[in-house]
Amino acid sequence: MDPETEAVYADYVEQSWPTLVRAAIFLGARPHEAEDLAQTTLVRCYTGWERVNSADNREAYVYRMLLNCLRDTRRTRWWKDRQYDDPRSLERSDRAVGGDSAERLAVADAVQRALGTLTKPNRDVVVLRYFVQLTEKQTAEALGIPPGTVKSRLSRALAHLASNDHLLDLSGGTKK
Amino acid sequence: MTDLENLWDDYPVGKAPTGAILAAATKGQQHRRRIVVRPLLTAAAVTGLAGAFLTGMLVDDGSGGGGNPPGAEALPSHVAFQADLEPAKNCDDLLETYINRALDLVGPYGWGGGGPIYYAEDGVQLGGLDRLSGTLTDGTGAMRRDYKSLNSAARIPQTSRQESSETGTNVQEMAVDEPDTAKTDGKILTLVRDDALVVYDVTGSSTKKLGRIGLPGLENAEILLSGDTVVAIGADDDAEDRPSDEYGYGYVQPTGTRVLTISLADPAKPKVTHDVTYDSGLSSARQHGSTIRLVLSSGLPDFDFVEPGGKRSDNKARKHNRKLVKDSKIEDWLPTITTDDKSQQLLDCTNVAIPSDDLALDTTSVVGFDAESPDKVDAIGLAGQTGIAYESADHLYLATGGGWGGPMDRCFDECMGSRIRGTTSGSSYLFDFELDGKQATHVASGEVEGAIRDRWSIDEADGVLRLAVGPTQETGNFNSIVTFQRDGEDLVEHGRLDNLGRNEEIKSMRWFDGLAIMVTFRNVDPLYAIDLSDTAKPKLLGKLKIPGFSSYLHPLGPNRMIGVGEGPNGKRGWGAQIALFNVRDVTNVRRMDVHNYDANTVARAGMDPRAFTWLPDERVALTVLEKYTSRRIGYVSVVRVKDGKLHERLQQVEYGDDVDDVRALPMPDGRVVLVTGEDAQFFEL
Repeated sequence: MDPETEAVYADYVEQSWPTLVRAAIFLGARPHEAEDLAQTTLVRCYTGWERVNSADNREAYVYRMLLNCLRDTRRTRWWKDRQYDDPRSLERSDRAVGGDSAERLAVADAVQRALGTLTKPNRDVVVLRYFVQLTEKQTAEALGIPPGTVKSRLSRALAHLASNDHLLDLSGGTKK
Repeated sequence: MTDLENLWDDYPVGKAPTGAILAAATKGQQHRRRIVVRPLLTAAAVTGLAGAFLTGMLVDDGSGGGGNPPGAEALPSHVAFQADLEPAKNCDDLLETYINRALDLVGPYGWGGGGPIYYAEDGVQLGGLDRLSGTLTDGTGAMRRDYKSLNSAARIPQTSRQESSETGTNVQEMAVDEPDTAKTDGKILTLVRDDALVVYDVTGSSTKKLGRIGLPGLENAEILLSGDTVVAIGADDDAEDRPSDEYGYGYVQPTGTRVLTISLADPAKPKVTHDVTYDSGLSSARQHGSTIRLVLSSGLPDFDFVEPGGKRSDNKARKHNRKLVKDSKIEDWLPTITTDDKSQQLLDCTNVAIPSDDLALDTTSVVGFDAESPDKVDAIGLAGQTGIAYESADHLYLATGGGWGGPMDRCFDECMGSRIRGTTSGSSYLFDFELDGKQATHVASGEVEGAIRDRWSIDEADGVLRLAVGPTQETGNFNSIVTFQRDGEDLVEHGRLDNLGRNEEIKSMRWFDGLAIMVTFRNVDPLYAIDLSDTAKPKLLGKLKIPGFSSYLHPLGPNRMIGVGEGPNGKRGWGAQIALFNVRDVTNVRRMDVHNYDANTVARAGMDPRAFTWLPDERVALTVLEKYTSRRIGYVSVVRVKDGKLHERLQQVEYGDDVDDVRALPMPDGRVVLVTGEDAQFFEL
């Protein structure tokens, strides 16, 4: 890859990183896992970057990769046996940055409680469309479903979330 | 919602590890290898292909032609294409059509002329292995053929019982068996686990493991059982990933199919008897008696395409790539079969038909063989892409998936993938093949405006083809039932019922001799009962609206039907749902009882009908559920149907990806074996 294109790629990495990590968390990854996934996704995008970058549906491509990465990790026996909530394994992690790691865990847990009540298909749609804010077309392409299904799943998911009680745990406030 | 939005914003992300990412990315970049299949063509390889053909030789003698060999008149003749599809006259002819159509598709980056390629994801399904395709499908029901309704005096058509196949799989057509991860003949049970075949004795009071054999080179295997022979089919582990697949959303489509046959003559010592590979992906596999039929899809060949960059302009790249296509040989396009390390071209050029330009460019192969001799195949091909394969007892229908089928948005000129995927015309194309043992013969073609979603939308009964069709830009925004009859070489539209589920998506179909049940969904679930006793005039008999929807329908007999799907659970949640319907009077379908599961749950039967088993003698349904929390948990729900009510009990059985493989296999003696990722045990109802 020539230096100019590589620079464009590096820019994309910087700019897309936060959303990719957040998306991974909202899709159900643990904090550690989310960063691994974002990294793997971006590394995989490197191949054929020029073409990926110039396509209209670059975002759809990247998020599709993220979903595939998440699915692939979930398939391994390793994931099945791993103790995600074991605090000792987190302490051993070299990536946690001080107090942030506690905050990450808290947020990830709260997100799990709230979004865990959605079915996977609906959750995928609401994360990509509502939180990442992909367009309907991009969401449809990323998930391989028709745009109409994006609309119906989104409205179902939003209706379900609007009436959900779990968030009270974190906000500690009154239901809106 | 704002709580969640705050959580999104509050999550402390930290800086991107750009340096590490760049380092990992550049290290991983490999030099792309050229993958062009050049089969080893030897005279001795002729023995690998059985079947007789009208013209042409089995082995390309290098002259590029396929003229009549001397004494051709003495050969028995089987004309594989008897309708409008024209087979190629010779290899040069066939090659020319591939090249001409391909030149329209080549651009500066290779296939597609600029954007990422969408390969036929719908087509790559192995029975219920929809995870291979990456798309979400709602598998649903179809027809049974052999059960004769006792209530023949009734003038209103009725539902009838759907049973598992003889090997314990919940199939679409009872005379046609489908691959699964576990099979039984009542004496032994054999299943695939961790890329190995495990055999159990199920005659005793508890299951006993007898033997095990690795399945080398086979990934995501599913099996068929014929007598003592297990036919294991899956992706060829040794096939190289095509570099061009890297542009296909990171999902790498299987590029090879492997068939291993294993003899269980001594069930404690299973033995691999044959190993056959194809360099094409698998679309479907079915079993009729001892005949196995595969539908393969080759995709577009991998040329050493270049990209613009550096000194190479877009134009230069395009020119280079076009030249690669122009210089291609027939072996680049046609699939290869390899047996005992000897490879040869699977299809004789004169047995490849050239369809209209409306079909995406691809090579679809229809391959038949006897379960005990997978190396002796009968194969014909079509130089186009068909995503859907449906088999009844003696017919195979290939169909293209037309357009999007989404109820809300129709796809206009800028449809995704255009000529690379499916068709852009908004119409679906049908090809009817008559089946006779290993042989398939194309006998008729047809066309319908609208989208055919998957094989469950197709059904054949008494020579009439029935289709459930969704909307495309060629139709109104509703669903239809369309029937076809064969008139010589044409499948001609015979009857039609429109305006079903306006603005809604078809969720499931069940077909019976004189009846069809369709479930559509947008916010509520209308269940439509359609009278097909006169296939020239399908009539709407009744409609039932309930919250939630059924994505899998299982008829228990003429009076009752079970629907498995999703719905509101009455506690402001949404989760899996199972319902009992009274279908005695299909003009007035009533829901008798419903059971809602917890809010996190999904009923797997909606995605894979093999996750559902009906035990008619006990009147019990076993269905697999999964729950998504921080991990995935699988349950078997035991649902007893008694006095018009559902009595349910839930048992946790598995977690993680093994939930996909949970099966409840019914034995002829009425017992049930529960297969999980770890074990196979008798299950107490």
